[in-house]
Amino acid sequence: MSADPAAMPPPHTANDDAPTGGGRSSALLTAHRAGLLGCRSCGRVWPEDAMECARCQAPLTPPDRRGLQAVWAWLIAGMIFYIPANLMPMMTTQSLGGLGGGGDATIIGGVLQLANHGDWFIAIVVFAASVMVPIGKFVAIIWLALVAGKPATEADAHNRLHIYEIVEFIGRWSMIDVFVVAILSALVQLGFVVSIKPGPAAASFALSVAFTMLSAQSFDPRLIWRGLPLHRRKE
Amino acid sequence: MSDDTTPRPAHPARRTAARAARASFSLIWLVPILALAVTLGLAWNAYSGRGELISVTFRDATGIVPGETTLKFREITVGEVEAVRFTDDLRSVEVDIRTEPEVTPYIDADAEFWIVRPVVSAQGISRLDTVLSGVFIEGFWDADRGEPATEFVGLDRPTLARLSGEGTWITLSSPGAKGLAEGAPVTFRGLEVGRMQNLHLSEEDETVLADVFIEAPHDQRLTTSTVFWDTSGFSVSLGAQGLSLNVDSLSKLVQGGVAFSTMATGGQPVEAGHVFDLQPDEETARTSLFGSSDRDLRLTMLASNDVSGLQTNADVTFDGLVIGRVTEIGVDFDETRPEDEQILQRITFVIAPDRLGVPASSTREEMLEFLQDRVEAGLRSRITSSGFLGTSMVVELLEQPRASDATLDIDAEPYPVMPSLPPEVSDLGASAEGLMDRLGGLNFEELLQSATNMMDAVTQLAASPDTRAIPGALRETLDEARLAVADVQAMTGELRDAGAAANLARMLDEAAQAAEAVQLAAADVPQMVEQMDEAAEAIEDFRFDEISAQASAILADLRAMLGTEDAEQLPRNLSDTLEAASGLLNDLRDGNAAGSLNATLDSARVAADEVAQAAETLPALSERFQRLAARAEAAVATYGENGAFTNDARTMIRELTRAAAAFGSLSRTIERNPRAFILGR
Repeated sequence: MSADPAAMPPPHTANDDAPTGGGRSSALLTAHRAGLLGCRSCGRVWPEDAMECARCQAPLTPPDRRGLQAVWAWLIAGMIFYIPANLMPMMTTQSLGGLGGGGDATIIGGVLQLANHGDWFIAIVVFAASVMVPIGKFVAIIWLALVAGKPATEADAHNRLHIYEIVEFIGRWSMIDVFVVAILSALVQLGFVVSIKPGPAAASFALSVAFTMLSAQSFDPRLIWRGLPLHRRKE
Repeated sequence: MSDDTTPRPAHPARRTAARAARASFSLIWLVPILALAVTLGLAWNAYSGRGELISVTFRDATGIVPGETTLKFREITVGEVEAVRFTDDLRSVEVDIRTEPEVTPYIDADAEFWIVRPVVSAQGISRLDTVLSGVFIEGFWDADRGEPATEFVGLDRPTLARLSGEGTWITLSSPGAKGLAEGAPVTFRGLEVGRMQNLHLSEEDETVLADVFIEAPHDQRLTTSTVFWDTSGFSVSLGAQGLSLNVDSLSKLVQGGVAFSTMATGGQPVEAGHVFDLQPDEETARTSLFGSSDRDLRLTMLASNDVSGLQTNADVTFDGLVIGRVTEIGVDFDETRPEDEQILQRITFVIAPDRLGVPASSTREEMLEFLQDRVEAGLRSRITSSGFLGTSMVVELLEQPRASDATLDIDAEPYPVMPSLPPEVSDLGASAEGLMDRLGGLNFEELLQSATNMMDAVTQLAASPDTRAIPGALRETLDEARLAVADVQAMTGELRDAGAAANLARMLDEAAQAAEAVQLAAADVPQMVEQMDEAAEAIEDFRFDEISAQASAILADLRAMLGTEDAEQLPRNLSDTLEAASGLLNDLRDGNAAGSLNATLDSARVAADEVAQAAETLPALSERFQRLAARAEAAVATYGENGAFTNDARTMIRELTRAAAAFGSLSRTIERNPRAFILGR
């Protein structure tokens, strides 16, 4: 935000620089610096006053920190659903019609049970996928949303981009728990002998993951580059 | 915010985008608000769906796992154990149970909780499913919404009330715990209709009490005139029908059990908690019924003090039918009576008038009137002894038309007095003594003397020359037979030389007739031997009181036997036959008789066969002799080894044996070669 007023006056010059500024090894040329606007749909850059991508007909919107509202909104919704996902049972097992025991297992409860049985590897995998990844994602998105668009060095910008990419990539893997529950519930339906049913936490968890994915999707990575000064001041 | 617009000229597209961004401001935030609302809704739902937390105290928490053990009501899970902890004094455990909201209102102060575990007992194995599923807590409460309670004390074992829910609780009282057992069945006509539990000692007296739960609808059969009796174990009874062994079901044999029956009509319905006395057996239970009905009459009789042995609960009989029982025995003192009758036994008894023939609908006054009439006709009461040994006493009502006039004293207190007759008591001791006296009066010495005399006579008989002559005569006969055989041999030789004689056939016919005579004679011998047999039998099973007579008889028999012509006839017949044979042969020899040789020889074979047949009876004869001797010996053996009498008897028996042996050797000789007897070969 604060970077923009300073960055605003020179776009014309930057515009002029863009076709000529080929020194990529020494300085980073962003679309913003070049006075161009990237299409979020297909990636083609257009002059800043273009209103529609002539290639994919997507509307062209300049990166704006106000767009972060969606990030925050989805993120908060995801976090809200993450709470019941942890408190309520993920999976209800019943063996021998309830005679052979069974019961409800929350995520952490399941992890502890696995650890108690000595299945450390699986426990760690489940813990990583169900606890560490979602929470790491929340933290990463919050951090990105906070710092996006703020002044940064190029190295910072690269870091933020990496983190954004990691979040984007890893987001879907959080669904591993939901998949496990879905597959088990579908496969282990032996009637009286054993049956597994998804608990309310499964839906919450799925919603939480979906919302965080939407949150990451709403994040406009162009904001990462907006944080760079318009001119290569160091040069 | 205005950064984008200020440096640039106003652009319609930009403005639209900005407006769109501003518009999305409110819309996108609906998502987390909705999420929050949903989550909060879920949380509230979960929280408000939570039931009450109740806490039940158990002695121990075997198998209870927080979060897993459930609370069940009629086998449906209605709660879950949340926590288990000790009570402050560490004497028991408290189990916190979260109950489901739908049953929570019913869990009031009368709710009961117990832990269901697998049970192996005499009643069988139950709740085996809990081995797999783990124990659970079972609760029972009724459908009334009472004052809610949260603190309960768990039971050690399930209450019986839950078995069916409906029924009546009564209490059984027994002097001992025999037949009573925790959970033992209560049967009605062999059908299990209830169970007992909670055996405890009475606080007032020394009886054992047990709570019995009779399930509906069988509890309708309980009235105040219901009796309970013990059916545990087995009973052996010896009666006129023989020995009978009564065993109820095996489970009752092992663990006990009681049965009940309502034998009399007219009882009132029982209230819960009614106390019944447990009777030791069905018979006692039946008699205990008298007096329980309102219609039963109580009467008193006065008896002199010299009768002992009558006890309360003794039967009151009329014509052998039990119509009541004795309820009380006391002392009646009345100075107005003659001096020796001032103190009398007052025996109170209760009778069921129905059994006396009083109409069932009659009132008490009518019944007494009826009795009054009967007493005037001679109905009296008296104490009499009964039973196998006559040791138990009963009160008997009997009609004695010739009895002196008496009346039923209806106005007497406390109960009407019935006139009584003197007691009739048969004393077992006295009759036993009489039996012993008679036994002692028997004259054993005389009997022994008679027996000795008898045996002496037998010895004399055996030693007599006549007896000894029998074997000699037999031997002579044999010798003569041999001579005859020699003659026959010679004759045959002559026959061979001279050819067949004409009248040989006739001769052989005669020989056959002679052989027949031998056979007849032999037939008489068995008869004679049978007489000896009988005599020997008589000796064998002689009795002290009969022995003299039998001894004389046996002597007479022996003498008669030995003196009979039959005995003498046997050798004589043989000799006659042989003489006739030899005479015949002589005739043949003299007359040179000749005829058809083949016919002759055939006839000879027939004759020989008949001789053989006759001889066959001889072994039997000798056998009988031997048997006679053996019996005599056995009889003698009963007298013991020593004494002159024994020796004499032995001698006699030896003689008899020898005689038998002689018979035997004769018969064997004939048997071995019967043909030689005729043909001399």
